[in-house]
Amino acid sequence: MQKLTIAIAKGRLQTESLGLLARADFNVSREMLESRRLAVEDETGRYRFIFVKPADVPVYVEHGIADCGIVGRDVLLESEADVLQRLTLEIGACRMVVAAPSDLTLSSYGMLRVATKYPRVTARHFGSRGLSVEIIQLSGSVEVAPLLGLADCIVDLVETGRTLRENGLRIVEVIAESTARLIVNRASYHLKAEAVASLIDSLGKAMSQEM
Amino acid sequence: MSEPLSKIPDGTRYYFGREARLRRHVEELVMSVFDGWSYEEITTPTVDYYSLFEHGMGSAQAHRAFRFTDVDGRLLALRPDVTSGVARAAVTMFAERDRPLRLCYAAQVFRQQPQSHAEWRRESTQTGCELLGANTSAADMEVLAIAFEILHRLGLDSDHLITLNDVGVFNGIVAPLEIDPQTRDELRQLVDSRNAADLERFLDSRKLAADERGALAQLTQLSGKRATLDHARKVITNAQSSEALDRLDRLWQMIESLNLQKHFEIDLGDLAKLDYYTGLTFNIYVNGAAVRIGSGGRYDGLTAAFGNSEPAVGFVLDLDALTTVLLARAKDPNFAPEPDRSVQPITNPDPGLLFGEARTKRAEGERVLISFEE
Repeated sequence: MQKLTIAIAKGRLQTESLGLLARADFNVSREMLESRRLAVEDETGRYRFIFVKPADVPVYVEHGIADCGIVGRDVLLESEADVLQRLTLEIGACRMVVAAPSDLTLSSYGMLRVATKYPRVTARHFGSRGLSVEIIQLSGSVEVAPLLGLADCIVDLVETGRTLRENGLRIVEVIAESTARLIVNRASYHLKAEAVASLIDSLGKAMSQEM
Repeated sequence: MSEPLSKIPDGTRYYFGREARLRRHVEELVMSVFDGWSYEEITTPTVDYYSLFEHGMGSAQAHRAFRFTDVDGRLLALRPDVTSGVARAAVTMFAERDRPLRLCYAAQVFRQQPQSHAEWRRESTQTGCELLGANTSAADMEVLAIAFEILHRLGLDSDHLITLNDVGVFNGIVAPLEIDPQTRDELRQLVDSRNAADLERFLDSRKLAADERGALAQLTQLSGKRATLDHARKVITNAQSSEALDRLDRLWQMIESLNLQKHFEIDLGDLAKLDYYTGLTFNIYVNGAAVRIGSGGRYDGLTAAFGNSEPAVGFVLDLDALTTVLLARAKDPNFAPEPDRSVQPITNPDPGLLFGEARTKRAEGERVLISFEE
């Protein structure tokens, strides 16, 4: 069977991804968990894992450098990458939300200033409802923006909602529910069909065992 | 701030040296195969009316064209595709010609936004063929056989796959749903990205009928060889889809009788460019290219926009993507090296003798290199 390269999002999702792979009978070595190496081959030699920033996972897959990738739906919504989303993985559950100080009503504003790490998702969400927004793109600590007066509200990813509360924000709207996805490059899906099908199959089985 | 003159626009590039030679070789090879199947070369205008492409490609695709206005205010575009111009020529200039009509081309096309982040070029070279005036499975097979021969002659026999679908399968499933074009396109995209989870959520939110739900969910998974068609028939039973499956079946029988099934696959989830095609669609994938390097299908509705409806089938290859794949292979040490291109310079203080010698060598078909050093 052909060798597959799988891109895995570093950070929040990495441990959960490797846990799922371990349950799917992949040999997840200590090296993969602890090493700082960015590319690791599994013992069978059938898979190579590369660890990259979440936003880069769809980039590697779309360009065919990685055949498959494990990444959150939030990243896919923002990247608009042309990849196949063949399988939903039951890990990394969170929500993409609009959050604002408790006294804010969205519709009362002529023009909203929105701070976010997800400018495309934000533009699509407000654009589809005909609201004009000024999007302020930040790369982190978005929750603090309304507090400091940089923005009226934020669009961000929320797991528990604790950070929001601590910064005096509440969820106004849920834009999308997000869980991790197995994404596949369009060419690899056909040219490495057997290997990709086997990966999908074992991940699918690992998930159904948990239920 | 002024841009330095050294900068070239995004999505454009130079070609030179071995890559340029390889590119010309590929173009000549492809065009010779078209000629071998009796396709006549045609060149369409580089600048044409935007409305041509709006009719020919649909406004979503035509929107990607570079546009500007003519002196009389009409909207012009740099050709974003060749097929539209060929279709217009077929029903106007070539209206009186015998059918079927076989035309081929190799030309630059220009698009402002690429389809995928991996397709960064805004100027690319397309080479393709169109078979007009025949609507049988044999006509579909003819263009598939031509595509296969090109890949074979390029030495890509064991490294390519042509995936087949028929838009009638999807159209037949969604027709009874009576949904608006936008909803239909959202469904198409969800199936095309094989996104079963979001598809289910989408169907839930629209409360769509149970029969169609199962069929749509299946589309995301139905790919493979002949057995795919048998699986499909079990879950998809409406008349329009069944006819489409029959067409694919006839085509697959021909492919099997030619013993080419290794190089083909049926993929009912592939739904790119739905509005353009009316029957068969296919995509060509090659090892070493992250996106498809060619695509085609049947578009019986296209020429109607130009006043006379007639069936047509064709395909297009991305010559630059193909060259990139071949160039990467050529750099492989196992690949036969390019023949030695070095040449001994000739020189002579007497220009008459110098050019006399050069002309003699040229007459014998030799390459010459003139040196001006005495």
